[in-house]
Amino acid sequence: MSGRHSPFAGAATWAAGPAGRAMSVGFIGAGQLAFALARGFTAAGILAAHKITASSPDTDLPTVSGLRKIGVNFTISNKETVKNSDVLFLAVKPPIIPFILDEIGSDIENRHIVVSCAAGVTISSIEKKLSAFCPTPKVIRCMTNTPVIVREGATVYATGTHAEVEDGKLLEQLMASVGFCTEVEEDLIDAVTGLSGSGPAYAFTALDALADGGVKMGLPRRLAVRLGAQALLGAAKMLLDSEQHPGQLKDNVCSPGGATIYALHFLESGGFRSLLINAVEASCIRTRELQHLADQEKVSPAAIKKTLLDKVKLESPSVSMASASKVSLFSSSWAPNSKKN
Amino acid sequence: GHVVGRRPGMEAGGELRVGFVGAGRMAQGVAQGVVRAGKVKAANVLASAPSDRNLGAFQDLGCRTTHCNSEVLQRCSLVFLATKPHLLPGVLQEISPAVTRDHVIVSVVAGVTLQTLQQLLPVGTKVLRVMPNLPCVVQEGAVVFARGSCAGEQEAALLKSLLSACGLCEETPESYIDIHTGLSGSGVAYVYLFAEALAEGAVKMGMPSALANKIAAQTLLGAAKMILETGEHPATLRSNVCTPGGTTIHALHELEKGALRATVMNAVEAATTRARELGKR
Repeated sequence: MSGRHSPFAGAATWAAGPAGRAMSVGFIGAGQLAFALARGFTAAGILAAHKITASSPDTDLPTVSGLRKIGVNFTISNKETVKNSDVLFLAVKPPIIPFILDEIGSDIENRHIVVSCAAGVTISSIEKKLSAFCPTPKVIRCMTNTPVIVREGATVYATGTHAEVEDGKLLEQLMASVGFCTEVEEDLIDAVTGLSGSGPAYAFTALDALADGGVKMGLPRRLAVRLGAQALLGAAKMLLDSEQHPGQLKDNVCSPGGATIYALHFLESGGFRSLLINAVEASCIRTRELQHLADQEKVSPAAIKKTLLDKVKLESPSVSMASASKVSLFSSSWAPNSKKN
Repeated sequence: GHVVGRRPGMEAGGELRVGFVGAGRMAQGVAQGVVRAGKVKAANVLASAPSDRNLGAFQDLGCRTTHCNSEVLQRCSLVFLATKPHLLPGVLQEISPAVTRDHVIVSVVAGVTLQTLQQLLPVGTKVLRVMPNLPCVVQEGAVVFARGSCAGEQEAALLKSLLSACGLCEETPESYIDIHTGLSGSGVAYVYLFAEALAEGAVKMGMPSALANKIAAQTLLGAAKMILETGEHPATLRSNVCTPGGTTIHALHELEKGALRATVMNAVEAATTRARELGKR
């Protein structure tokens, strides 16, 4: 069942992996997402830090030291992460995913649950890649957001062809410890990206502007930020706790001829609502575009950070690059060539 | 002659006689409402106007008519004042000698305050001020009224009972009357505009205009009925119609892009402000 905050949260109870022993979680990628999730899981008490491994070729990332501070095992070897994990999060940027899959594909075993958090990357593209190595890879696609770091994330997931119900429930248990988590059909994930994936950015923008309003009217900046954030937090909490429509909750705040209704009129005049609708739509459409580009067309390797490519090359020499020409990310002709012996 | 024990607003014999000073559209609308609903017999309605132009509508209803304003006061106990605003002071001066403490004077005149009415009428006169709207004519009006200082609960109850024949009728503080003008008095025009625009959209998409107009009107009627009957917040009703990714949400997005909400708020504000201005003159 979907929900927030795992019933298992608590320092004494770890999430159980296969065969009942405490589960290990790995992150390919040690950037914002990996850090946010690791931070969230450990704070929720659902996972001990030493059961988490994260890897990245780039050791200079600020999140790397952050992960180390929590007590997460950090390595530059993606293969090591795979070996030490039951649940494997792919926490890299979408264009990197295919390279990662080629690199680690041969290390994926039946116990692994591969969870991709990459926006716009379809389950079928991942399964196709992995099927070269593993007949029935368990793949789950997930869309979460940064507030997992404070255990107020919004996460949805869709299970792949070979992922069992228990695998989905296991992921749900993990993600519910850091916020709201529910299962959806994969075709809704782009819309979720537009809404709650990008949503915190809309909120930060709104909060910045609200604080500006406060400052304009005389408040010190820090207080303005604090109050603005608390106002949004409180309103969101009221809505989540209420059966009422947000329109009704709004009405409850607007006394006749009062300050609030005057302010709302300004928002309406500015097309506030349509701007937000436009934003969600734009983010969703862009996600689909990027996915389409990845599936159909080609992405220049120059678009991918050179150091990452080099390091990936070092790890798996079988991954061939025609560096001068564009690279097709998901063409099936790759898979047989990269198959390791 | 002097009649003992007359109840306020009632003639000897118990039948209410209702008068109209001024016989324009609004007076006609109220008269039609109360007569059609059977609240008052047509024969017990008397309307006065300087010319015959508007009196025909009253005669068609079966009401009595006259050119003498004072006669309305003499024959009727509940009298609607429905003249044009600039004519009212003169009319009040004219009829004041005929106004008694038993009369219930109900002003339907836009922009004329209770204070003004009470100043121009004999001290102690029971005065109420009403703001109806045009659909009173089809008994689907929205009417608010406010009491003057000498009008009591009985007069309010009587008026409310009468005007409920015309649609929705609520007693309010006088300060709401101008707002009611902006919302509902003028508001019917906003709805006509919206209906026109809906139909035009349909015509653009290939529907004949007569059919489009009919459907547009029925859509508004039906939606309004649902708000009134379900008691649900319109936002909830709106959400209920919007299936994910469906036609309605696409259309609503267009409305939001056009800042329709703010525009409508502007309209209500403009009409209310204007009503207040006019009321001050």
